Amino acid sequence: MENFSNSVLIPDNLPEIEPETFTGLNRKYLIVLFVRILIVFLFLAGGFAVFMILSEQNIPQSILFSIAAAILLIIIFVSVVTRLGFPRKGYLVREKDVSFQRGLITYKVTSVPLNRIQHVEVSQGVLAKMLGLSSVNIYTAGGTSSDLSIPGITENEAQKLKSFLSGKISEHE
Amino acid sequence: MSMSSIDLSKPTRQSPRGLILIFLFSAQKFIRAFWPILLVLVFQNEIFRNNRTILIAVLIFLILLIIHSILFYLNFFFYLEGDEFILKKGYLRKQTLSIPFDRIQSVNTKQNLIQQLLNVVTLEIDTAGTAAKELKIHALDSSVSNEIQEQLQAVKKSDQTSQEPQTQQPKTEKEKLLLQLTPADLLKIGISQNHIRAGLIILAFGLQIFNQIQDVFEEKAEQYSSEFIEFISNSNSALLTFLVIFFLLVSILFSLFRTVFKYFNFKLLKKEKSYRIESGLFNKRNMIIPHQKVQQLNWETGPLKKIFGIYHLVFKQAVSGQNRQQQQQLVDAPGCLTQHLEKLKTDLFGEDRLSEVPRIYSDNFYFRRLWLLFGWIPVLLTTPFFYSEWIFWGGAAIWLLSSAGYSYLIIKKRYFRMNNQQIRISKGAISHKWEQMKLHKIQAVEFRQSIFQKRRSLASLDLMNASGTITIPYIDEKVAKKIYNYLLYHTEISKKSWM
Repeated sequence: MENFSNSVLIPDNLPEIEPETFTGLNRKYLIVLFVRILIVFLFLAGGFAVFMILSEQNIPQSILFSIAAAILLIIIFVSVVTRLGFPRKGYLVREKDVSFQRGLITYKVTSVPLNRIQHVEVSQGVLAKMLGLSSVNIYTAGGTSSDLSIPGITENEAQKLKSFLSGKISEHE
Repeated sequence: MSMSSIDLSKPTRQSPRGLILIFLFSAQKFIRAFWPILLVLVFQNEIFRNNRTILIAVLIFLILLIIHSILFYLNFFFYLEGDEFILKKGYLRKQTLSIPFDRIQSVNTKQNLIQQLLNVVTLEIDTAGTAAKELKIHALDSSVSNEIQEQLQAVKKSDQTSQEPQTQQPKTEKEKLLLQLTPADLLKIGISQNHIRAGLIILAFGLQIFNQIQDVFEEKAEQYSSEFIEFISNSNSALLTFLVIFFLLVSILFSLFRTVFKYFNFKLLKKEKSYRIESGLFNKRNMIIPHQKVQQLNWETGPLKKIFGIYHLVFKQAVSGQNRQQQQQLVDAPGCLTQHLEKLKTDLFGEDRLSEVPRIYSDNFYFRRLWLLFGWIPVLLTTPFFYSEWIFWGGAAIWLLSSAGYSYLIIKKRYFRMNNQQIRISKGAISHKWEQMKLHKIQAVEFRQSIFQKRRSLASLDLMNASGTITIPYIDEKVAKKIYNYLLYHTEISKKSWM
């Protein structure tokens, strides 16, 4: 009897996912991202202002300054990361799967095989609508963590992507 | 069909005994929704001072409720039609629910104390996918619910083997008892539970009660609590030790009771292609687990469990959209011996080829990352506040040492084995956990790499299936990419259904 072994046998030259081949998001989407940061900033600054007014000047100035500085630093940091990380964001549709990549500090790629997609929808926020942008949300049967969302592409692109993916779903059913 | 008098293709009502249950449920719902108004009416309205008025009001209310219950009962039907389970309900607003068989994830039953007295069960049908709805029938004769469970099972089985000629197979396939827990087993399981978790539950519960008491005795509470603190700080270490031991005992007792309530008369039964679990004292559950529907198998053992040689095993099934947010009910089997575990693994995954494959451990850099997270960051964050006290530095040193030990335990257990069909990961710190899945159950894959990992050519992987995520942290970037590509390839060419 031969000695049967079955170690990690992974076929060579499987197609790889190259970060360079991804399609970038529409540049207008940067506006959406920055407006989001602005809103967070306004909330933080507003909260800080209310805090200053309500507290009756018992707090030493040095602490107030350091809080203000911290808020500013965080906002600047997030803005820089968003700006530099933007070219990293992108999606890739291959024959048999769809992927999304993002992240400057932690780079992430998520791929969903087309034969696992449950349904696809196109959604649009208020600001995105004004800019003519849409998101494509791809749902699998997994928990929420395995749902893939591709934001910041033009309405036209989104509709095309949706109908392509929907077509694939009916193929698999 | 000849054996049983139950014909599910005809519209069937719930059990007549269920009327009582419907009545109680409706009363409960009504009172829950309107109790503030009821209170106001009873206490504020002059008319209700009169005893007779109260009596009449209650009577009218009861009569209305009885009429509602009867109408609800009479208009509640279910039946099987084609390949769908159909439910019709409502008398003012009629509602029809239909569930295609191939969408059904699980068919389980539950039985609380009242239902046990009435000999009826709640049947829950859970569906997969995003258009998810959960269907519940609260007052079924247990014989009817068994029939439904059987039939939905049978249909699914014939679905799978549709190529083969449909043989008229005997309907009642023999069930084999795999595991039954005796009171002695329950004792072992209860003792070897995680008492820290139980302790935290009790603590949270105690704090809540304490808060409520505080609300009641508002003005005196301050006095009491300061007295209590004084008492604690003045008392000697013997008393403190006593308190700790007392707390531990309460935790163990609590774990024991929870175990007995949940796993009383636990039975794990096996058919050719499915398992059935029966257990519970006041809340009985009866769950059918088709092998096909198990997305992932988890099992774990801890220091105490190891002494008894037992494992706690969890069948992870697909979570439907509605249940995603809620805590899903665990389909689990505590107190499995090694032989049970091996049997179940063979049933679900076939012969174990994974142990022939070498373990791949997470990189040692993962240790540094964990130590930084558990050890250094808490110490560095607290240093500015306490650096002047010598006792802090002693505590910090102990903290750093023990967190290093903890991180070491984690990294020693963190490995995985994978072949071209399956993957099994090992993890844990004090307890030891394993997770195993077939690769075609994958729903999505994620590759993660921070700039710190990139410098060392490391990366992490997340493998998502319909029941959750399996994480492989800090492995060689090249290996991670290879696995990533292989998983996609494997899932994309796979003809096997994930559910």
